[in-house]
Amino acid sequence: MDRRRKWSNAILFLITLALAVVFFFPIFFNLMSAFKSNPEIMRDAVAFPKTFYLESFEYLLTETDFPAAIANSLLLTLLSILFMVLIIPMAGYAIERHDRPWTRFVFVFYLAGMMIPFQAYMIPLFKELKMLGLFGNLSGPIAIYISGSVGFGCLLYTSFLKGIPREIEESAEMDGCTRYGIFWRIVFPLLGPCTASMIVLQGLGIWNDFLMPMLVLPSGEPKTMIVEIFYYVGEFSSRWDMIFAGTTLSIVPVLIVFVFLQKYFVKGLASGAIKG
Amino acid sequence: MAMPYVSEEKKALSASVAKRRRKWQSYALLFILPSFILYALFVIVPTASSAYLSFTSWDGVSSDIRYIGFANFEEIWHSERVHNALKNTLLITAALVVLENVVAIALAMLVDNVRWLRNLFRTVFYFPVLLSGIVMGFIWNIILNYNFGVLNQLLAKIGLESIAIDWLGDPNYAMISIILSTVWKSAGYYMVIYLAGLQSIPADLSEAAAIDGANRWQQFRHVTLPLLAGAMTVCSVLSMIGSLKIFDQIAVMTDGGPGFATETLTYIIYKVGFSEMRQGFGTAMALVLFLLILIITVIQVKVLRKREVQL
Repeated sequence: MDRRRKWSNAILFLITLALAVVFFFPIFFNLMSAFKSNPEIMRDAVAFPKTFYLESFEYLLTETDFPAAIANSLLLTLLSILFMVLIIPMAGYAIERHDRPWTRFVFVFYLAGMMIPFQAYMIPLFKELKMLGLFGNLSGPIAIYISGSVGFGCLLYTSFLKGIPREIEESAEMDGCTRYGIFWRIVFPLLGPCTASMIVLQGLGIWNDFLMPMLVLPSGEPKTMIVEIFYYVGEFSSRWDMIFAGTTLSIVPVLIVFVFLQKYFVKGLASGAIKG
Repeated sequence: MAMPYVSEEKKALSASVAKRRRKWQSYALLFILPSFILYALFVIVPTASSAYLSFTSWDGVSSDIRYIGFANFEEIWHSERVHNALKNTLLITAALVVLENVVAIALAMLVDNVRWLRNLFRTVFYFPVLLSGIVMGFIWNIILNYNFGVLNQLLAKIGLESIAIDWLGDPNYAMISIILSTVWKSAGYYMVIYLAGLQSIPADLSEAAAIDGANRWQQFRHVTLPLLAGAMTVCSVLSMIGSLKIFDQIAVMTDGGPGFATETLTYIIYKVGFSEMRQGFGTAMALVLFLLILIITVIQVKVLRKREVQL
Protein backbone atom coordinates (compact mmCIF):
# COMPACT_ATOMS: atom_id res chain seq x y z
CA MET A 1 0.00 0.00 0.00
CA ASP A 2 2.75 2.37 1.01
CA ARG A 3 4.80 1.56 -2.07
CA ARG A 4 1.79 1.97 -4.30
CA ARG A 5 1.17 5.39 -2.82
CA LYS A 6 4.79 6.35 -3.36
CA TRP A 7 4.53 5.35 -7.01
CA SER A 8 1.31 7.24 -7.57
CA ASN A 9 2.82 10.33 -5.92
CA ALA A 10 5.82 10.12 -8.22
CA ILE A 11 3.67 9.69 -11.34
CA LEU A 12 1.44 12.58 -10.32
CA PHE A 13 4.52 14.74 -9.79
CA LEU A 14 5.93 13.84 -13.21
CA ILE A 15 2.66 14.63 -14.99
CA THR A 16 2.42 17.99 -13.22
CA LEU A 17 6.05 18.72 -14.01
CA ALA A 18 5.57 17.93 -17.70
CA LEU A 19 2.55 20.22 -17.88
CA ALA A 20 4.44 22.96 -16.02
CA VAL A 21 7.21 22.73 -18.62
CA VAL A 22 4.66 23.06 -21.43
CA PHE A 23 3.03 26.03 -19.68
CA PHE A 24 6.29 27.77 -18.92
CA PHE A 25 7.95 27.14 -22.28
CA PRO A 26 6.43 30.06 -24.27
CA ILE A 27 7.46 32.55 -21.57
CA PHE A 28 10.89 31.01 -21.26
CA PHE A 29 11.18 31.09 -25.06
CA ASN A 30 10.36 34.80 -25.03
CA LEU A 31 12.89 35.66 -22.32
CA MET A 32 15.55 33.56 -24.02
CA SER A 33 14.96 34.98 -27.50
CA ALA A 34 15.38 38.54 -26.22
CA PHE A 35 19.08 37.74 -25.76
CA LYS A 36 19.58 36.28 -29.23
CA SER A 37 20.32 38.14 -32.46
CA ASN A 38 17.81 38.00 -35.26
CA PRO A 39 19.73 35.52 -37.48
CA GLU A 40 20.19 33.31 -34.41
CA ILE A 41 16.43 33.21 -33.81
CA MET A 42 15.73 32.49 -37.48
CA ARG A 43 18.34 29.75 -37.74
CA ASP A 44 17.29 27.78 -34.68
CA ALA A 45 14.46 29.14 -32.60
CA VAL A 46 14.82 26.50 -29.88
CA ALA A 47 18.59 26.82 -29.31
CA PHE A 48 19.99 28.63 -26.28
CA PRO A 49 21.58 32.05 -26.90
CA LYS A 50 25.27 31.68 -27.77
CA THR A 51 26.29 35.00 -26.29
CA PHE A 52 24.51 37.38 -24.01
CA TYR A 53 23.26 39.57 -26.87
CA LEU A 54 22.03 42.95 -25.63
CA GLU A 55 21.96 44.98 -28.85
CA SER A 56 18.24 44.56 -29.39
CA PHE A 57 17.59 46.18 -25.99
CA GLU A 58 20.09 48.90 -26.82
CA TYR A 59 18.49 49.59 -30.18
CA LEU A 60 15.00 49.58 -28.67
CA LEU A 61 15.93 51.97 -25.89
CA THR A 62 18.02 54.42 -27.95
CA GLU A 63 16.70 54.35 -31.53
CA THR A 64 12.94 54.02 -31.04
CA ASP A 65 10.08 55.62 -29.13
CA PHE A 66 10.02 52.76 -26.65
CA PRO A 67 11.38 54.70 -23.63
CA ALA A 68 8.60 57.27 -24.02
CA ALA A 69 6.09 54.42 -24.30
CA ILE A 70 7.47 52.89 -21.08
CA ALA A 71 7.02 56.25 -19.37
CA ASN A 72 3.45 56.47 -20.67
CA SER A 73 2.59 52.97 -19.48
CA LEU A 74 4.02 53.65 -16.03
CA LEU A 75 2.34 57.03 -15.70
CA LEU A 76 -1.00 55.75 -16.92
CA THR A 77 -0.95 52.75 -14.58
CA LEU A 78 0.25 54.63 -11.50
CA LEU A 79 -2.02 57.67 -11.88
CA SER A 80 -5.10 55.55 -12.60
CA ILE A 81 -4.41 53.42 -9.53
CA LEU A 82 -3.83 56.49 -7.36
CA PHE A 83 -7.17 58.04 -8.29
CA MET A 84 -8.91 54.69 -7.98
CA VAL A 85 -7.67 54.38 -4.40
CA LEU A 86 -8.82 57.92 -3.65
CA ILE A 87 -12.30 57.44 -5.10
CA ILE A 88 -13.48 53.83 -5.01
CA PRO A 89 -12.92 52.67 -1.38
CA MET A 90 -14.92 55.68 -0.14
CA ALA A 91 -17.84 54.75 -2.36
CA GLY A 92 -17.69 51.10 -1.30
CA TYR A 93 -17.64 52.18 2.35
CA ALA A 94 -20.69 54.43 2.01
CA ILE A 95 -22.59 51.75 0.09
CA GLU A 96 -21.88 49.04 2.67
CA ARG A 97 -22.25 51.04 5.90
CA HIS A 98 -25.03 53.43 4.92
CA ASP A 99 -27.51 50.76 3.89
CA ARG A 100 -30.48 52.64 2.38
CA PRO A 101 -32.60 52.02 -0.72
CA TRP A 102 -30.72 54.69 -2.65
CA THR A 103 -27.27 53.26 -1.85
CA ARG A 104 -28.54 49.79 -2.75
CA PHE A 105 -29.69 51.20 -6.07
CA VAL A 106 -26.29 52.81 -6.69
CA PHE A 107 -24.61 49.47 -5.98
CA VAL A 108 -26.76 47.57 -8.49
CA PHE A 109 -26.28 50.41 -10.98
CA TYR A 110 -22.49 50.05 -10.62
CA LEU A 111 -22.54 46.27 -10.89
CA ALA A 112 -24.63 46.42 -14.07
CA GLY A 113 -21.70 48.21 -15.72
CA MET A 114 -19.58 45.10 -15.36
CA MET A 115 -21.76 43.45 -18.01
CA ILE A 116 -21.26 46.16 -20.63
CA PRO A 117 -18.40 45.31 -22.99
CA PHE A 118 -16.04 48.18 -23.79
CA GLN A 119 -16.81 47.79 -27.49
CA ALA A 120 -20.45 48.59 -26.79
CA TYR A 121 -19.69 52.17 -25.84
CA MET A 122 -16.25 52.95 -27.21
CA ILE A 123 -17.37 54.76 -30.34
CA PRO A 124 -19.48 57.48 -28.64
CA LEU A 125 -16.91 57.60 -25.84
CA PHE A 126 -14.29 59.02 -28.18
CA LYS A 127 -16.64 61.68 -29.38
CA GLU A 128 -17.40 62.56 -25.78
CA LEU A 129 -13.70 62.75 -24.88
CA LYS A 130 -13.17 65.16 -27.75
CA MET A 131 -16.04 67.32 -26.54
CA LEU A 132 -14.61 67.40 -23.02
CA GLY A 133 -11.10 68.11 -24.28
CA LEU A 134 -9.76 64.86 -22.84
CA PHE A 135 -8.88 63.32 -26.20
CA GLY A 136 -5.25 62.92 -27.13
CA ASN A 137 -3.65 62.98 -23.69
CA LEU A 138 -3.42 60.70 -20.67
CA SER A 139 -6.33 62.25 -18.75
CA GLY A 140 -8.94 60.57 -20.99
CA PRO A 141 -7.65 57.02 -20.50
CA ILE A 142 -7.23 57.63 -16.75
CA ALA A 143 -10.86 58.75 -16.42
CA ILE A 144 -11.99 55.72 -18.44
CA TYR A 145 -9.97 53.29 -16.34
CA ILE A 146 -11.35 54.66 -13.06
CA SER A 147 -14.93 54.58 -14.36
CA GLY A 148 -14.45 51.06 -15.65
CA SER A 149 -13.22 49.85 -12.24
CA VAL A 150 -16.04 51.29 -10.16
CA GLY A 151 -18.21 48.15 -10.32
CA PHE A 152 -15.47 45.65 -9.59
CA GLY A 153 -13.91 47.88 -6.93
CA CYS A 154 -17.13 48.47 -5.01
CA LEU A 155 -17.88 44.75 -5.11
CA LEU A 156 -14.46 44.01 -3.68
CA TYR A 157 -14.70 46.63 -0.91
CA THR A 158 -18.28 45.92 0.16
CA SER A 159 -17.62 42.19 0.49
CA PHE A 160 -14.45 42.90 2.49
CA LEU A 161 -16.15 45.49 4.73
CA LYS A 162 -18.78 42.96 5.80
CA GLY A 163 -16.04 41.21 7.76
CA ILE A 164 -14.97 44.35 9.66
CA PRO A 165 -16.95 45.08 12.87
CA ARG A 166 -18.58 48.51 13.20
CA GLU A 167 -17.84 48.99 16.92
CA ILE A 168 -14.59 50.86 16.39
CA GLU A 169 -16.24 53.31 14.02
CA GLU A 170 -19.14 53.83 16.43
CA SER A 171 -16.91 54.63 19.38
CA ALA A 172 -14.83 56.98 17.24
CA GLU A 173 -18.06 58.69 16.26
CA MET A 174 -19.02 59.10 19.93
CA ASP A 175 -15.65 60.75 20.44
CA GLY A 176 -16.67 63.33 17.87
CA CYS A 177 -14.69 62.12 14.89
CA THR A 178 -16.24 63.03 11.52
CA ARG A 179 -17.15 60.31 9.03
CA TYR A 180 -14.40 61.58 6.77
CA GLY A 181 -11.84 61.21 9.54
CA ILE A 182 -13.25 57.84 10.60
CA PHE A 183 -12.94 56.54 7.06
CA TRP A 184 -9.44 57.69 6.24
CA ARG A 185 -7.88 57.27 9.70
CA ILE A 186 -9.59 54.14 10.99
CA VAL A 187 -11.32 52.16 8.25
CA PHE A 188 -9.02 52.70 5.27
CA PRO A 189 -5.92 51.26 7.01
CA LEU A 190 -7.95 48.13 7.87
CA LEU A 191 -8.79 47.74 4.17
CA GLY A 192 -5.11 47.29 3.23
CA PRO A 193 -5.35 43.75 1.80
CA CYS A 194 -8.43 44.72 -0.19
CA THR A 195 -6.72 47.81 -1.58
CA ALA A 196 -3.68 45.71 -2.48
CA SER A 197 -5.92 43.30 -4.41
CA MET A 198 -7.58 46.10 -6.30
CA ILE A 199 -4.23 47.70 -7.12
CA VAL A 200 -2.61 44.54 -8.48
CA LEU A 201 -5.62 43.30 -10.45
CA GLN A 202 -6.61 46.62 -12.00
CA GLY A 203 -2.97 47.67 -12.40
CA LEU A 204 -2.31 44.50 -14.39
CA GLY A 205 -5.33 45.17 -16.60
CA ILE A 206 -4.22 48.74 -17.32
CA TRP A 207 -0.58 47.82 -17.93
CA ASN A 208 -1.68 45.16 -20.42
CA ASP A 209 -4.53 47.09 -22.06
CA PHE A 210 -4.39 47.53 -25.79
CA LEU A 211 -7.46 48.69 -27.69
CA MET A 212 -8.41 51.77 -25.67
CA PRO A 213 -4.96 53.42 -25.43
CA MET A 214 -4.36 52.64 -29.10
CA LEU A 215 -7.53 54.46 -30.11
CA VAL A 216 -7.47 57.34 -27.60
CA LEU A 217 -3.82 58.39 -27.42
CA PRO A 218 -2.69 60.83 -30.12
CA SER A 219 -1.47 59.26 -33.34
CA GLY A 220 2.08 59.99 -34.41
CA GLU A 221 3.29 60.07 -30.81
CA PRO A 222 4.50 57.16 -28.68
CA LYS A 223 1.58 55.46 -26.92
CA THR A 224 1.93 52.64 -24.38
CA MET A 225 4.36 49.71 -24.40
CA ILE A 226 1.73 47.22 -25.47
CA VAL A 227 0.49 49.45 -28.31
CA GLU A 228 4.06 50.06 -29.52
CA ILE A 229 4.74 46.31 -29.47
CA PHE A 230 1.64 45.82 -31.60
CA TYR A 231 2.88 48.41 -34.12
CA TYR A 232 6.37 46.88 -34.19
CA VAL A 233 4.90 43.47 -35.03
CA GLY A 234 3.53 45.08 -38.19
CA GLU A 235 6.43 47.44 -38.93
CA PHE A 236 9.51 45.43 -38.01
CA SER A 237 8.18 42.04 -39.00
CA SER A 238 11.74 40.93 -39.66
CA ARG A 239 13.24 42.18 -36.38
CA TRP A 240 11.93 39.61 -33.97
CA ASP A 241 14.86 40.15 -31.60
CA MET A 242 13.79 43.72 -31.05
CA ILE A 243 10.16 42.82 -30.43
CA PHE A 244 11.21 40.08 -28.01
CA ALA A 245 13.26 42.69 -26.13
CA GLY A 246 10.11 44.84 -25.96
CA THR A 247 7.85 42.07 -24.74
CA THR A 248 10.47 41.12 -22.16
CA LEU A 249 10.53 44.68 -20.83
CA SER A 250 6.73 44.55 -20.49
CA ILE A 251 6.64 41.10 -18.83
CA VAL A 252 9.48 41.30 -16.31
CA PRO A 253 8.01 44.02 -14.05
CA VAL A 254 4.72 42.12 -13.94
CA LEU A 255 6.42 38.84 -13.04
CA ILE A 256 8.37 40.55 -10.25
CA VAL A 257 5.27 42.21 -8.79
CA PHE A 258 3.40 38.92 -9.04
CA VAL A 259 6.04 36.87 -7.26
CA PHE A 260 6.00 39.27 -4.30
CA LEU A 261 2.28 40.03 -4.13
CA GLN A 262 0.92 36.71 -5.29
CA LYS A 263 -1.60 36.30 -2.48
CA TYR A 264 -3.34 39.56 -3.37
CA PHE A 265 -3.84 38.45 -6.99
CA VAL A 266 -5.44 35.26 -5.72
CA LYS A 267 -7.52 36.85 -2.94
CA GLY A 268 -8.94 39.46 -5.29
CA LEU A 269 -9.86 36.77 -7.78
CA ALA A 270 -11.69 34.76 -5.16
CA SER A 271 -13.75 37.72 -3.95
CA GLY A 272 -14.19 39.14 -7.44
CA ALA A 273 -15.49 35.75 -8.45
CA ILE A 274 -18.48 36.03 -6.12
CA LYS A 275 -20.11 38.29 -8.67
CA GLY A 276 -21.06 35.29 -10.87
CA MET B 1 -39.77 60.82 39.54
CA ALA B 2 -37.14 58.80 37.69
CA MET B 3 -39.34 58.05 34.69
CA PRO B 4 -39.55 61.49 33.03
CA TYR B 5 -35.85 61.96 33.58
CA VAL B 6 -34.98 58.81 31.65
CA SER B 7 -37.29 59.71 28.81
CA GLU B 8 -35.67 63.15 28.63
CA GLU B 9 -32.32 61.48 28.27
CA LYS B 10 -33.72 59.11 25.68
CA LYS B 11 -35.14 62.02 23.76
CA ALA B 12 -31.81 63.78 23.78
CA LEU B 13 -30.13 60.57 22.74
CA SER B 14 -32.54 59.87 19.90
CA ALA B 15 -32.24 63.47 18.76
CA SER B 16 -28.49 63.11 18.60
CA VAL B 17 -28.87 59.77 16.78
CA ALA B 18 -31.17 61.40 14.23
CA LYS B 19 -28.71 64.22 13.79
CA ARG B 20 -25.88 61.77 13.31
CA ARG B 21 -27.95 59.83 10.79
CA ARG B 22 -28.63 62.98 8.80
CA LYS B 23 -24.96 63.83 8.88
CA TRP B 24 -24.07 60.33 7.75
CA GLN B 25 -26.54 60.70 4.88
CA SER B 26 -24.76 63.77 3.55
CA TYR B 27 -21.35 62.15 4.03
CA ALA B 28 -22.49 59.04 2.17
CA LEU B 29 -23.61 61.24 -0.68
CA LEU B 30 -20.24 62.97 -0.67
CA PHE B 31 -18.37 59.64 -0.61
CA ILE B 32 -20.32 58.19 -3.51
CA LEU B 33 -20.50 61.31 -5.68
CA PRO B 34 -17.02 61.23 -7.35
CA SER B 35 -17.34 57.64 -8.53
CA PHE B 36 -20.93 58.24 -9.57
CA ILE B 37 -20.05 61.23 -11.74
CA LEU B 38 -17.19 59.41 -13.47
CA TYR B 39 -19.22 56.24 -13.96
CA ALA B 40 -22.22 58.11 -15.34
CA LEU B 41 -20.05 60.27 -17.59
CA PHE B 42 -17.75 57.60 -19.03
CA VAL B 43 -19.86 54.43 -18.99
CA ILE B 44 -23.56 55.24 -18.89
CA VAL B 45 -23.72 58.31 -21.14
CA PRO B 46 -21.67 56.69 -23.95
CA THR B 47 -23.68 53.46 -23.67
CA ALA B 48 -26.88 55.44 -24.03
CA SER B 49 -25.44 57.39 -26.98
CA SER B 50 -24.52 54.04 -28.53
CA ALA B 51 -28.16 53.09 -28.46
CA TYR B 52 -28.97 56.33 -30.28
CA LEU B 53 -26.10 56.18 -32.80
CA SER B 54 -27.04 52.65 -33.81
CA PHE B 55 -30.04 54.14 -35.61
CA THR B 56 -27.87 56.50 -37.66
CA SER B 57 -25.45 56.30 -40.57
CA TRP B 58 -22.72 58.29 -38.76
CA ASP B 59 -19.18 57.88 -40.11
CA GLY B 60 -17.47 58.85 -36.86
CA VAL B 61 -15.98 62.14 -38.07
CA SER B 62 -18.50 64.40 -39.76
CA SER B 63 -21.22 66.27 -37.91
CA ASP B 64 -23.73 64.72 -40.28
CA ILE B 65 -25.57 62.20 -38.10
CA ARG B 66 -28.54 60.99 -40.09
CA TYR B 67 -31.34 58.90 -38.60
CA ILE B 68 -31.90 55.81 -40.74
CA GLY B 69 -34.26 53.76 -38.58
CA PHE B 70 -33.59 50.06 -38.35
CA ALA B 71 -31.43 49.95 -41.51
CA ASN B 72 -28.27 49.00 -39.58
CA PHE B 73 -30.02 46.16 -37.80
CA GLU B 74 -31.51 44.95 -41.06
CA GLU B 75 -28.04 44.91 -42.57
CA ILE B 76 -26.74 42.92 -39.59
CA TRP B 77 -29.59 40.46 -40.06
CA HIS B 78 -28.73 39.91 -43.75
CA SER B 79 -24.96 40.43 -43.93
CA GLU B 80 -22.95 37.27 -44.69
CA ARG B 81 -19.89 38.79 -43.10
CA VAL B 82 -21.72 39.36 -39.82
CA HIS B 83 -23.14 35.85 -39.90
CA ASN B 84 -19.65 34.49 -40.38
CA ALA B 85 -18.33 36.60 -37.48
CA LEU B 86 -21.20 35.47 -35.28
CA LYS B 87 -20.51 31.84 -36.17
CA ASN B 88 -16.78 32.31 -35.39
CA THR B 89 -17.56 34.04 -32.09
CA LEU B 90 -19.95 31.32 -30.96
CA LEU B 91 -17.52 28.59 -32.03
CA ILE B 92 -14.61 30.20 -30.16
CA THR B 93 -16.81 30.76 -27.11
CA ALA B 94 -18.15 27.21 -26.97
CA ALA B 95 -14.68 25.73 -27.42
CA LEU B 96 -13.08 28.05 -24.87
CA VAL B 97 -15.73 27.60 -22.16
CA VAL B 98 -15.36 23.82 -22.36
CA LEU B 99 -11.59 23.61 -22.78
CA GLU B 100 -10.66 26.34 -20.28
CA ASN B 101 -12.80 24.73 -17.59
CA VAL B 102 -11.62 21.19 -18.27
CA VAL B 103 -7.96 22.23 -18.29
CA ALA B 104 -8.44 24.45 -15.22
CA ILE B 105 -10.08 21.66 -13.21
CA ALA B 106 -7.35 19.23 -14.27
CA LEU B 107 -4.63 21.69 -13.24
CA ALA B 108 -6.37 22.43 -9.95
CA MET B 109 -6.67 18.71 -9.16
CA LEU B 110 -2.99 18.18 -9.98
CA VAL B 111 -1.79 21.16 -7.92
CA ASP B 112 -4.06 20.16 -5.03
CA ASN B 113 -2.80 16.56 -4.94
CA VAL B 114 0.86 16.88 -5.90
CA ARG B 115 3.26 16.28 -3.03
CA TRP B 116 6.23 18.45 -3.95
CA LEU B 117 6.70 22.03 -5.26
CA ARG B 118 2.99 22.74 -5.03
CA ASN B 119 3.36 26.54 -4.82
CA LEU B 120 5.85 26.66 -7.66
CA PHE B 121 3.48 24.71 -9.91
CA ARG B 122 0.58 26.99 -9.04
CA THR B 123 2.70 30.03 -9.85
CA VAL B 124 3.87 28.61 -13.18
CA PHE B 125 0.36 27.69 -14.31
CA TYR B 126 -0.77 31.20 -13.42
CA PHE B 127 2.08 33.02 -15.25
CA PRO B 128 0.37 33.21 -18.69
CA VAL B 129 -2.55 35.07 -17.09
CA LEU B 130 -0.17 37.96 -16.45
CA LEU B 131 0.59 38.52 -20.14
CA SER B 132 -1.30 40.96 -22.31
CA GLY B 133 -3.17 39.47 -25.27
CA ILE B 134 -0.79 41.31 -27.60
CA VAL B 135 2.38 39.89 -26.04
CA MET B 136 0.87 36.42 -25.81
CA GLY B 137 -0.24 36.67 -29.44
CA PHE B 138 3.23 37.68 -30.57
CA ILE B 139 4.93 34.83 -28.70
CA TRP B 140 2.55 32.31 -30.27
CA ASN B 141 3.01 33.95 -33.67
CA ILE B 142 6.67 33.09 -33.52
CA ILE B 143 6.12 29.62 -32.05
CA LEU B 144 3.59 28.81 -34.78
CA ASN B 145 5.41 30.57 -37.66
CA TYR B 146 5.50 28.35 -40.73
CA ASN B 147 9.15 28.78 -41.73
CA PHE B 148 11.04 29.65 -38.57
CA GLY B 149 8.58 28.69 -35.84
CA VAL B 150 9.47 26.53 -32.86
CA LEU B 151 6.69 24.03 -33.41
CA ASN B 152 7.54 23.21 -37.00
CA GLN B 153 11.26 23.15 -36.13
CA LEU B 154 10.56 20.67 -33.36
CA LEU B 155 8.50 18.55 -35.74
CA ALA B 156 11.40 18.62 -38.19
CA LYS B 157 13.84 17.58 -35.45
CA ILE B 158 11.88 14.44 -34.70
CA GLY B 159 11.60 13.67 -38.40
CA LEU B 160 8.07 14.82 -39.01
CA GLU B 161 8.85 17.59 -41.52
CA SER B 162 6.18 16.26 -43.84
CA ILE B 163 3.38 17.31 -41.48
CA ALA B 164 4.70 20.86 -40.92
CA ILE B 165 1.58 22.99 -40.82
CA ASP B 166 0.98 26.64 -41.59
CA TRP B 167 -0.73 27.06 -38.22
CA LEU B 168 -1.89 30.64 -38.70
CA GLY B 169 -2.02 30.89 -42.50
CA ASP B 170 -4.24 27.89 -43.10
CA PRO B 171 -7.92 28.71 -42.47
CA ASN B 172 -8.48 25.21 -41.06
CA TYR B 173 -5.82 25.61 -38.39
CA ALA B 174 -5.93 29.36 -37.64
CA MET B 175 -9.00 28.98 -35.46
CA ILE B 176 -7.56 26.00 -33.59
CA SER B 177 -4.33 27.94 -32.99
CA ILE B 178 -6.23 30.91 -31.55
CA ILE B 179 -8.34 28.67 -29.31
CA LEU B 180 -5.48 26.57 -27.94
CA SER B 181 -3.20 29.53 -27.28
CA THR B 182 -6.05 31.30 -25.46
CA VAL B 183 -6.62 28.21 -23.30
CA TRP B 184 -2.92 28.36 -22.42
CA LYS B 185 -3.32 32.00 -21.43
CA SER B 186 -6.49 31.76 -19.33
CA ALA B 187 -6.59 28.30 -17.74
CA GLY B 188 -4.47 29.43 -14.76
CA TYR B 189 -7.00 32.09 -13.85
CA TYR B 190 -9.83 29.59 -13.47
CA MET B 191 -7.49 27.08 -11.84
CA VAL B 192 -7.06 29.49 -8.92
CA ILE B 193 -10.84 29.73 -8.45
CA TYR B 194 -11.22 25.93 -8.63
CA LEU B 195 -8.35 25.51 -6.17
CA ALA B 196 -10.17 27.71 -3.67
CA GLY B 197 -13.25 25.53 -4.25
CA LEU B 198 -11.27 22.31 -3.73
CA GLN B 199 -9.76 23.58 -0.52
CA SER B 200 -13.20 24.27 0.91
CA ILE B 201 -14.29 20.64 0.44
CA PRO B 202 -13.83 18.74 3.72
CA ALA B 203 -11.44 15.78 3.33
CA ASP B 204 -13.70 13.36 5.22
CA LEU B 205 -16.21 13.33 2.34
CA SER B 206 -13.74 11.72 -0.06
CA GLU B 207 -12.50 9.46 2.75
CA ALA B 208 -16.05 8.30 3.43
CA ALA B 209 -16.51 7.57 -0.27
CA ALA B 210 -13.23 5.64 -0.30
CA ILE B 211 -14.34 3.53 2.66
CA ASP B 212 -17.55 2.80 0.78
CA GLY B 213 -15.38 1.38 -1.99
CA ALA B 214 -15.36 4.25 -4.48
CA ASN B 215 -12.23 4.38 -6.63
CA ARG B 216 -10.37 7.61 -7.40
CA TRP B 217 -12.39 8.42 -10.49
CA GLN B 218 -15.70 7.73 -8.73
CA GLN B 219 -14.64 9.95 -5.82
CA PHE B 220 -13.86 12.71 -8.28
CA ARG B 221 -16.99 12.21 -10.35
CA HIS B 222 -19.52 11.82 -7.54
CA VAL B 223 -18.02 13.77 -4.63
CA THR B 224 -15.55 16.41 -5.80
CA LEU B 225 -17.12 17.52 -9.07
CA PRO B 226 -20.65 18.16 -7.71
CA LEU B 227 -19.13 20.22 -4.89
CA LEU B 228 -17.20 22.28 -7.44
CA ALA B 229 -20.44 23.29 -9.17
CA GLY B 230 -20.41 26.73 -7.50
CA ALA B 231 -16.91 27.45 -8.76
CA MET B 232 -17.97 26.08 -12.14
CA THR B 233 -20.83 28.56 -12.39
CA VAL B 234 -18.46 31.43 -11.72
CA CYS B 235 -15.74 30.17 -14.03
CA SER B 236 -17.93 29.33 -16.98
CA VAL B 237 -19.74 32.66 -16.80
CA LEU B 238 -16.43 34.53 -16.62
CA SER B 239 -14.87 32.50 -19.43
CA MET B 240 -18.01 32.91 -21.53
CA ILE B 241 -17.95 36.71 -21.19
CA GLY B 242 -14.20 36.80 -21.82
CA SER B 243 -14.49 34.62 -24.93
CA LEU B 244 -17.33 36.64 -26.46
CA LYS B 245 -15.08 39.72 -26.10
CA ILE B 246 -11.91 38.09 -27.50
CA PHE B 247 -9.91 40.68 -29.42
CA ASP B 248 -6.20 41.28 -28.71
CA GLN B 249 -4.80 37.90 -29.76
CA ILE B 250 -6.80 38.01 -32.99
CA ALA B 251 -5.49 41.48 -33.78
CA VAL B 252 -1.89 40.33 -33.51
CA MET B 253 -2.09 36.68 -34.62
CA THR B 254 -4.39 36.64 -37.65
CA ASP B 255 -5.94 40.10 -38.16
CA GLY B 256 -9.24 38.28 -38.59
CA GLY B 257 -7.83 36.20 -41.41
CA PRO B 258 -6.88 34.28 -43.39
CA GLY B 259 -9.77 35.73 -45.36
CA PHE B 260 -12.43 36.09 -42.69
CA ALA B 261 -11.67 32.76 -41.02
CA THR B 262 -11.08 34.20 -37.53
CA GLU B 263 -13.05 37.43 -37.68
CA THR B 264 -15.16 37.76 -34.53
CA LEU B 265 -17.89 40.22 -33.55
CA THR B 266 -15.55 42.45 -31.52
CA TYR B 267 -13.12 42.48 -34.42
CA ILE B 268 -15.74 43.37 -36.99
CA ILE B 269 -16.97 46.20 -34.74
CA TYR B 270 -13.46 47.60 -34.61
CA LYS B 271 -12.85 47.15 -38.35
CA VAL B 272 -16.15 48.62 -39.43
CA GLY B 273 -15.96 51.52 -37.00
CA PHE B 274 -12.34 52.56 -37.36
CA SER B 275 -11.05 51.38 -40.76
CA GLU B 276 -14.22 51.50 -42.79
CA MET B 277 -15.55 54.58 -40.98
CA ARG B 278 -19.07 53.29 -40.48
CA GLN B 279 -19.49 53.96 -36.80
CA GLY B 280 -23.29 53.98 -36.83
CA PHE B 281 -23.18 50.42 -38.11
CA GLY B 282 -20.41 49.59 -35.62
CA THR B 283 -22.46 50.74 -32.63
CA ALA B 284 -25.47 48.75 -33.86
CA MET B 285 -23.31 45.64 -33.88
CA ALA B 286 -21.87 46.52 -30.47
CA LEU B 287 -25.39 46.62 -29.07
CA VAL B 288 -26.12 43.23 -30.58
CA LEU B 289 -22.98 41.90 -28.88
CA PHE B 290 -24.06 43.40 -25.56
CA LEU B 291 -27.49 41.80 -25.83
CA LEU B 292 -25.89 38.48 -26.75
CA ILE B 293 -23.69 38.61 -23.65
CA LEU B 294 -26.65 39.58 -21.47
CA ILE B 295 -28.94 36.81 -22.72
CA ILE B 296 -26.34 34.04 -22.65
CA THR B 297 -25.18 35.03 -19.15
CA VAL B 298 -28.69 35.02 -17.73
CA ILE B 299 -29.49 31.61 -19.24
CA GLN B 300 -26.15 30.19 -18.17
CA VAL B 301 -26.49 31.36 -14.56
CA LYS B 302 -30.05 29.99 -14.35
CA VAL B 303 -29.06 26.57 -15.73
CA LEU B 304 -25.84 26.22 -13.74
CA ARG B 305 -27.28 27.43 -10.42
CA LYS B 306 -29.74 24.52 -10.52
CA ARG B 307 -26.86 22.05 -10.55
CA GLU B 308 -25.15 23.49 -7.50
CA VAL B 309 -25.09 21.40 -4.35
CA GLN B 310 -25.32 23.11 -1.00
CA LEU B 311 -23.03 21.67 1.63
